[in-house]
Amino acid sequence: MIHPVLDPKLAPPFPKAALPVLRNPQLRKNVAHATDVITSKRGRLVAEKDDWQALRDAASALRAHVLENLGTYLEQFEERCTAAGGVVHWAADAAEAREIILNILRDENASEVIKIKTMTSAEIQLNPFLAQNGIEPHETDLAEIILQLGKDEPSHIVVPALHVNRSQVRDIFARTMHLPDLSDNPQELTAAARTYLRKKFLTVPTAISGANFLIAETGGVSVVESEGNGRMCLTLPRTMITLAGIEKVIPRYRDLEIMLQVLARSATGERMNPYTSLWTGVTKGDGPQRFHVVLLDNGRSDILQRERERQTLKCIRCAACMNACPVYRQTGGHAYGSVYPGPIGAILTPQLMKMEYAQSLPYASSLCGACYEVCPVKINIPEVLIDLRAKVTDQERNEERRFFDPLYLGMRMANKVFASAGRFQAAQRMMRIGLKPLTGKDGWIRSLPAYGARWTMTRDLRGVPQQSFREWWTSRANGKAKP
Amino acid sequence: MSATRSRSAVLGRIRAATTTTPHAGTYESLPRAYRMQGELSSDQCVALLIERLREYDADITECTPDALIPTIATQIAKSGRSILAAPIGLPEDWLVPGCDWRVDHDLSHDQIEQTQGVVTAATCAVAESGTIVLHHGPAEGRRVLSLLPDWHLCVLKTSQVVETLPEYFARCDAPPALATFISGPSATADIEMTRIKGVHGPRFLNVIVVRD
Ligand code: SF4
Repeated sequence: MIHPVLDPKLAPPFPKAALPVLRNPQLRKNVAHATDVITSKRGRLVAEKDDWQALRDAASALRAHVLENLGTYLEQFEERCTAAGGVVHWAADAAEAREIILNILRDENASEVIKIKTMTSAEIQLNPFLAQNGIEPHETDLAEIILQLGKDEPSHIVVPALHVNRSQVRDIFARTMHLPDLSDNPQELTAAARTYLRKKFLTVPTAISGANFLIAETGGVSVVESEGNGRMCLTLPRTMITLAGIEKVIPRYRDLEIMLQVLARSATGERMNPYTSLWTGVTKGDGPQRFHVVLLDNGRSDILQRERERQTLKCIRCAACMNACPVYRQTGGHAYGSVYPGPIGAILTPQLMKMEYAQSLPYASSLCGACYEVCPVKINIPEVLIDLRAKVTDQERNEERRFFDPLYLGMRMANKVFASAGRFQAAQRMMRIGLKPLTGKDGWIRSLPAYGARWTMTRDLRGVPQQSFREWWTSRANGKAKP
Repeated sequence: MSATRSRSAVLGRIRAATTTTPHAGTYESLPRAYRMQGELSSDQCVALLIERLREYDADITECTPDALIPTIATQIAKSGRSILAAPIGLPEDWLVPGCDWRVDHDLSHDQIEQTQGVVTAATCAVAESGTIVLHHGPAEGRRVLSLLPDWHLCVLKTSQVVETLPEYFARCDAPPALATFISGPSATADIEMTRIKGVHGPRFLNVIVVRD
């Protein structure tokens, strides 16, 4: 299995990273199958809700309202959570969040920790950091165990192992759990994971989770899941640490009536996810008796400042946009080089990295608008993509190296050529002759030489036709045209 | 301390980003044009709940209040289980004879793990999505109690059934400190999108609907 790099600072640009995937039919088949199953289920269940658009409007307006009043709601959450016995920490960036979590774990004398699937902890690269510091993290979500034991990385935010099929899972489990006779029956594989994890649940006294929602009104936290591993982690241990992005807050308990309805349908095509858990600080005799929340900024407050991009933070991580995205469906998640793949990753990752890395991601889209159409909180992803493309171009315009970049020089030349009709026609004639040897019988060019290859690496190019429209028009006026 | 410094830095950036933007409206003025109130009669609503729960492969039995105790006894007998956990507030007569009841006077996780099932009450059920809501009161038990045993027998009254999720929230006078929403038994679709029941939570959900 390829071990992808999901750190935007180290990952290759999207077009390069996507190539090996495009040549891997097994992986593409696995991704296509999974996204097909979810999108068709989602379509069926959305169609049965005649108030779906009203729910989307409500969800979108609520999330926008939260972002406009984010400071107020966060302070309210902090106050109520503290009053209920929780401890609230603020982390300006990934490094600080990792330190805070490590310090809590050291205070607990923890040598291992159980985890509920959380994208935010992947965002701050928490697992490798804990391992370096002598604390062993155990993922407990089935997909996450498959990846952790297989030394692989997530390729989707809801079904992280959708690129792995049953025989691959069998091989990973057989090897790492020492079960040579395991079959590739999903039921049996699931049972193996159940047995493997039950002991961890009952013996590891510290857990880490993410949060789907923080509730300002009560200081409560909510985690939405299917397997029950979440309930295990947030009920059995002595100490619980929740890492949440600052944008996760919603005003009141009652607002879950909107969010839960749109989340499950969009994420997994179910009327409701099997388990939703809510807890507020600590409750005597029930669940962990020490509870910490780490509120993570890590670039989010910068996104908040930009009016058009702010909507990125409305995201509830349902993954509907990636399931619907024709680019994601061909490449799977790893090509994005970030823990957030697909359309949301294409806009979120470059911004979280303060537009310093992942500059190829805003281009990893066909701008077809399918993501906008399915997004339950109505994030206009194409609009943000275009805006980010403009930002990338602006940045490049100010870079000195552009003067030596053949692409830039070529564009400058093209600009000159397009500016005059005479020059354009002359260029057309030259291209007709020059490109002839590269044009196939069907009129398509499969690959251009030298720098042109950057274009044809991901697209086919139409050859120059034997007659241009202008030539046809002139000959028609002369009465010689064939219709 | 650097922690407080980060707090004010983050909040400061948030405030700076949001004070200049126009206010889109108050919380009260947010649009809520979705369906709040169900239209079904109470019988239809219960029928819908049962249909939805059955889609999750839950086992459903209906009974009158008078028949509750024998129904509990039958369901337990049918399940073939006899070592059962019970929340401390479970009505005394629900602890039907013939079982080894472990009432939750601070049972340890291991002790709960050794039971074969659990019997609880519930707070509410939402028909549209087939969701059972527990607020973990004395008859519903601590969260761990309905989590570790493999079999969950849940007693629900028809007066607790609502059609839509908003109707449940409308019934909550004060938000609970703890809540668990259960929509079918634990499940996963992580391996080739094949739905598998019971990864970690109870694998079997059995519901008795009491017509009150
Ligand atoms: S952008 Fe919208 S569709 Fe995509 S994950 Fe976020 S909420 Fe879901």
